[in-house]
Amino acid sequence: MADKAILYDATKCTACRGCQVACKQWNDLPGELTTNRGTYENPPDLSANTWLKMRFTEIGDTPENLRWLFVRRACMHCTDAACVEVCPTKALYHHEMGFVAYKRELCTGCGYCVEACPFDVPRSGGGGGGTVTGVRTMSKCILCEDRITNGEEPACVKTCPTGALTYGDRSDLLAEGQARVASLKSTYPNAYLYGEKELNGLHVLYVLDDTPDVYGLPVNPQIPVAATVWQDVLQPIGWGVAGLVALGLGLNYVIARRKIKINSEEE
Amino acid sequence: METVERKPKSTPILHYVFGAPPVPGEDVVERYSKPVRILHWVNAVAWIVLFITGLLFFVPQFSGAAVGGWSGLFHRIAAVVMVGWAALYFVTSPRSALSGVREAFKWGRDDIGWMQAAPSYYMLGGEDTMPPQGHMNTGQKLWWLTVLGAGALMILTGALMWFFKDIIPGSAFMWSAFFHDVGFIALLTFGLVHVYLSVFHPRMRGIFWSMWGGKISTKYAESHHKKWYDKVSKGEGS
Repeated sequence: MADKAILYDATKCTACRGCQVACKQWNDLPGELTTNRGTYENPPDLSANTWLKMRFTEIGDTPENLRWLFVRRACMHCTDAACVEVCPTKALYHHEMGFVAYKRELCTGCGYCVEACPFDVPRSGGGGGGTVTGVRTMSKCILCEDRITNGEEPACVKTCPTGALTYGDRSDLLAEGQARVASLKSTYPNAYLYGEKELNGLHVLYVLDDTPDVYGLPVNPQIPVAATVWQDVLQPIGWGVAGLVALGLGLNYVIARRKIKINSEEE
Repeated sequence: METVERKPKSTPILHYVFGAPPVPGEDVVERYSKPVRILHWVNAVAWIVLFITGLLFFVPQFSGAAVGGWSGLFHRIAAVVMVGWAALYFVTSPRSALSGVREAFKWGRDDIGWMQAAPSYYMLGGEDTMPPQGHMNTGQKLWWLTVLGAGALMILTGALMWFFKDIIPGSAFMWSAFFHDVGFIALLTFGLVHVYLSVFHPRMRGIFWSMWGGKISTKYAESHHKKWYDKVSKGEGS
């Protein structure tokens, strides 16, 4: 099946936050009580119950050069996904439609994905316990798996009034995003299509009118070294060592027993 | 030196699994005091719980046992019991605990001799090739060092991931997970050897009971722990 994706065009986004509401509504996520921090940006951060939020950034100190930037904060559905790499129980996996899905019942609440994600997206919670007990599970955006596997578009895309969000085959959206960036270049020379190459391709593409760092996005996101060394080097070594030891002990048992038998027969 | 007075209560089925304990009337000597034995078994049970709940992280096929994060709670309870009991032991019997720790670091020429002779001995036998050993032989000291070293590593990295998750950077967390795994592999492999030698090795059958009743036969003590036995039989204590 062709990989699906979301295209987010920051230049068309008015930060109405309709997508935030639609996400909560469709996924049955309760609202959170927050306090006024002197910004329209709310809630302040992603959480186990907030899978999508818009981040507001103010740049410049005079009215003339002030820029008010909006950017989407939610799972980027990476091709090289650090969370999938570190998930010990394979609760996190790549869906055949390309996005990163998960089986909550397999989640041990270890929180490795929370720490490994280069975009700081997954959140622990929902189990009631939390830090002390460790009884918790991870949550994050699942690209409205229940909608898209039934031919619908994700709730956030469905609700977007300005057309900043579109959903479709990743290859189509890639072409669309490239064309949009090319047309933006004349006015915004730094315009950039984020997610085309990052981590071998994200399944959420961003059309930006400036470089990613201006929007607070990691310029060259990577899977943490520790995660790779741990999963791809240490774990196979562990299996090898444990297997060799078990084999050695079995061999020792057979030989030692046989030798004792021979000795007693000689006597 | 004393003799076993009453018949051991254990059933023949357990003898089949763990080998026969010292027979009634056999000369025995105390090897492990009661507090040490309780410490060992509390540790063993906690170790098994920690091992099983930790194994979920290695074997995706077992991950159904994660049951929505509850395995993490059992892992933590077992960790607290293990560390807490060891701390309690240290506080209540500091002298015995310290001398026990010191034992791991007492190394000499007989340890080199032991390592040279051990592979052949554990395969083919030949008691006379083995240099005389103290209360712990070289192999036991190696295991004891692993327990102390890997145990410290597990406590350190485990505490980092448990209590300091929100303070430390993500990379420090990932490296903690990495070294927690290193400790797991060390304790698993050496633990396998430990269980094998104390329960299943054909030449050590029955030695399991020394950690249960605390006694071993003087015959075994003399042939396997000559230096220690000489001290004990002269009444110098262990």
